[in-house]
Amino acid sequence: MAAVETLTSAPLLEIARALRQRKVSPVELVDAYTRRIEQASDLKAFITLPGERARREARRAEQQLSRRQAGVLLGVPIAVKDLFATRAIRTTAGSRILRDWVPSRDAVVVARLRAAGAIIVGKTNLHEFAYGVSNANPWWGVARNPHDPERSPGGSSGGSAIAVVAGLCAGALGSDTGGSIRVPASLCGCVGLKPTYGAIPLEGTIPLGWSLDHAGPLTRTVGDAGLLLDVLTGMDAGQRVRRASTRGVRVGVLRGPLVQRVRPWVSEQVEAAATALRRRGLRVREVSIPEMEWTVATQLVTLRAEAAAVHARWIRTRPRAYGADVRIRLQLGALVAGADYVLAQRMRARLRAALDQVFQSIDVLLLPTTPITAPVVGDRTVRWRSGEEPVDGALVRLTAPFNLTGLPALSVPFGAAAGLPIGLQVVGRRHDEARVLAVGRLMEELAEA
Amino acid sequence: MPVTEREQLAAAGQAAGLRLTEQDLTDLLPAWKRYVGLVEELRAAMAPEDWDGGG
Repeated sequence: MAAVETLTSAPLLEIARALRQRKVSPVELVDAYTRRIEQASDLKAFITLPGERARREARRAEQQLSRRQAGVLLGVPIAVKDLFATRAIRTTAGSRILRDWVPSRDAVVVARLRAAGAIIVGKTNLHEFAYGVSNANPWWGVARNPHDPERSPGGSSGGSAIAVVAGLCAGALGSDTGGSIRVPASLCGCVGLKPTYGAIPLEGTIPLGWSLDHAGPLTRTVGDAGLLLDVLTGMDAGQRVRRASTRGVRVGVLRGPLVQRVRPWVSEQVEAAATALRRRGLRVREVSIPEMEWTVATQLVTLRAEAAAVHARWIRTRPRAYGADVRIRLQLGALVAGADYVLAQRMRARLRAALDQVFQSIDVLLLPTTPITAPVVGDRTVRWRSGEEPVDGALVRLTAPFNLTGLPALSVPFGAAAGLPIGLQVVGRRHDEARVLAVGRLMEELAEA
Repeated sequence: MPVTEREQLAAAGQAAGLRLTEQDLTDLLPAWKRYVGLVEELRAAMAPEDWDGGG
């Protein structure tokens, strides 16, 4: 029993290995996670637990393991954000509107996880319809940060981040439209990867913003994120993401207005990471991208309009079926003029061009994931010397630019302040996840040193 | 004709087919003002083209 308990917080790769080596059985593991989930119920990480269904899948996995069948995730318990359809398991999108929806088919990403042998251990809590970063869900519970339950885990994939950090699953699936994988990863202290736009299919995922939505993994290690990326992108076992070297990699540390409002203890970790990377032979320099100043406005207009399009019917016929914050965002989105949306897309094109230009002279960009550590639940604003900023806006300010441009972006835990984790973001060129993960693995090693 | 910002918001909501209560208008107004301000910033940041007399 003790060995199983220790394994629940181990890296996914180690869990998968222990299962293949028959050191632990899938049933023991699912039972252990189910117990831990119940014990940690105050964190509000989960909405639905499949119960006996998960045990049945575990028993089937046990037989498959005894026959040495293939499957890189065979018997591995994975948590799935309740935004992805799961066949015969309720999928609510964290909403009241979909509280009774039971899909007849898996989302493509869920089907890929199952095909690789994963067991769905539960559907995780999220901000309602993924449209927010506090994960204070009025219908399914206010999610809590495992490091300090008075603080927010971030969102919208807050439940998935909690589950990974608190050892309630081996790894988790999340979605990211403005930062919803990376923000909770940063605030809770795990790894979160938003891959290149379009790299992971979204069929069967409840949409928020069609041009901004991404799916991706939340895990305890960068190596685990790489494995889940392979599975989610549909790679065969023999086609694993080519490992990249970090030798000679050019790192650009972002400077400029976008990163001026950052807590000093977060900035210190960026500098520490830059210094450590330089010592390991990477070429580190500063970069400035003036166009980044407009990302807040561009993201706001784009997301407001796209989300309002998704919810066009319900926001007009059932406005009170939404929580207050999501209702306000959707009503505002319904008022976005077409000309304003086009203006935002023109600025977006400018931002893409500027980043493409910068990536001529660097290979990865380094910046904080969030400018602050986990805020207290209920906090509405962040105070800076130069004024106040809405906390929701602050949390996505440094992540949203890479939803707008579709570049792969990884959040890696790097240091802590007053017991709260700090996340740093590594961003790469389109489809250069291998290099982003390589730098992320190095930073992980340096952070532990 | 709507005169105040609140009236303008109410008119825009009606045109968009939203059922906005008085409380909705109160809740929406600060976010609406912020949105309008950000759009103005975006417009100002995009230089006018030569063909529209801005060049």
